[in-house]
Amino acid sequence: MSIIELQQLTKTYGSARGIKNLSFRVEEGEIFGFIGPNGAGKSTTIRTLLGLIYPTSGSAKIFGKDILLHGQEIKKEIGYLPSEVFYYDNMKVKDLLHYSASFYKKDCTKRMNELAALLELDVNKKIDDLSLGNKKKVGIVQGLLHEPRLIILDEPTSGLDPLMQQRFFELLLEENKKGSTILFSSHILSEVQRLCHRVAIIKEGELVSLEKMSTLKANNYKRFKLEASTAVEESSFAIEGVTELVIRDKEVSFMYKGNLNAILRVIASIEIANLWIEEPDLEEIFMHYYEKEA
Amino acid sequence: MNMYKHELSAYRKSLFGWISALVGISILMMSMFPTFSKDAGAFVALLSNMPDAVLAAMGIHMETITSVLGFYGYIFVYILLGGAIQAMLLGTTILSKEVRDKTADFLLTKPVTRQAIVSSKLLAALTSLAVTNIIYMAAACLITALVSESAFSLKLLILATLPLFFVQLIFFATGLLVSVIWPKMRTVLPVSLGVVFAFFLIGALGATTGDDKLRLLTPFKYFDTSYIVEHSSYESLYLFITIAWVILATALSYIIYMKRDVHAV
Repeated sequence: MSIIELQQLTKTYGSARGIKNLSFRVEEGEIFGFIGPNGAGKSTTIRTLLGLIYPTSGSAKIFGKDILLHGQEIKKEIGYLPSEVFYYDNMKVKDLLHYSASFYKKDCTKRMNELAALLELDVNKKIDDLSLGNKKKVGIVQGLLHEPRLIILDEPTSGLDPLMQQRFFELLLEENKKGSTILFSSHILSEVQRLCHRVAIIKEGELVSLEKMSTLKANNYKRFKLEASTAVEESSFAIEGVTELVIRDKEVSFMYKGNLNAILRVIASIEIANLWIEEPDLEEIFMHYYEKEA
Repeated sequence: MNMYKHELSAYRKSLFGWISALVGISILMMSMFPTFSKDAGAFVALLSNMPDAVLAAMGIHMETITSVLGFYGYIFVYILLGGAIQAMLLGTTILSKEVRDKTADFLLTKPVTRQAIVSSKLLAALTSLAVTNIIYMAAACLITALVSESAFSLKLLILATLPLFFVQLIFFATGLLVSVIWPKMRTVLPVSLGVVFAFFLIGALGATTGDDKLRLLTPFKYFDTSYIVEHSSYESLYLFITIAWVILATALSYIIYMKRDVHAV
């Protein structure tokens, strides 16, 4: 069963922001990456799923239940970590965590203490006095303490130091192993690359691409860089599949998608001094998606 | 229930502040009554030199000002003003605070309905107002008994003080409605003070012109102490308006809040 299912989900605001006819599914047990630059509609999608804002048209289901009709029931099993952390004035960390736990009809104390210990969070401090990174930890603990079936993260790592980021990712992987599905929205691609099984790329509110991480990385694109012994004609690379061609003197670089034999024949016809063929990282693929259609 | 408790404890500090302020004002002003009543004749002579419009605007009724209940009615205007500010602030704050402090994301992603959120907050706010009124009522009865040299009707005093709760309900509901209609309101204090003082001034103005239409516009004049003292009851039209407005504004607030998009700030 799909954990999340979007059908033609649309949310328009007065301005240009919003999402248009977004449809995709997140399957049980997945870590699903949701990427796009700021303002692409990631948060809009997530806020719609959580019932913070209402869709203009289309529908969405979580755990097979309609988000508008069964919001309360669905949220029992969702853990949400917003990009900006909230805090109530004058509350201690443990008061907030207990308050958060009080919404779920089960005892969360044990898990809460485990998480706080793991993230080295001092629960006796006032939230007002915490640094951004520590506030973020409060957000993580309150989002995970009820051991949710679906974890929704909206750009979760800002403010965490690299060590904590590492621990947080390990925590997510652990939760995932225990069976939680994770929707991970981010514009930091290396994070997504490390964690996610599948990735949806969203641009100006529309789905640009939805692929397995492995497909996205391995099959599609290769980055070529070569150094020729003599000057190179731009026309030699005018074959299908070559993009982002840059020729600087004897140095050539480009992205290639297609039959490798075809491009190797082109390269073979040139006297080359050096050659690199690399897997592009997600960042490059991502830029590629955006530049292509810009 | 957890939200109700949380809300109550969040208001605790300001609640004690407001109660102390209201009780403080009444003690301060009522303690002047013995001096006032001793020289009542001189005061009345002095006051009668003032233009009628000024007396009306200040809520002074020559016939009753020298009795302890009449005097209480005069100072009660200011208690009402304070209570109205407290209630209006509470009304504008309870829902909009969540948005400003970004805690709306926290609350609305918990397994609760928006209806339950509004109800818990309403209940907590009503509890605060009820506590304010009970304590103030007790204090008012006590201080009046202490300063009054002659006997007075406790029933009338209670009848004259109850409007504090009614007026607070009006302003609370109004504040609630304002905050859901205008969710981007950054600062609730100037808005709340502005609205309350505007109505207060309309009331003072209405009193000088004796215009009944103006009276409809200002909740401060719905429960006239001299009328209550004279008739031992409230004017049913204004009681009805109060109930109708409180129900209407609260219902509208519920509906609007249910349907509203809560945006990231």
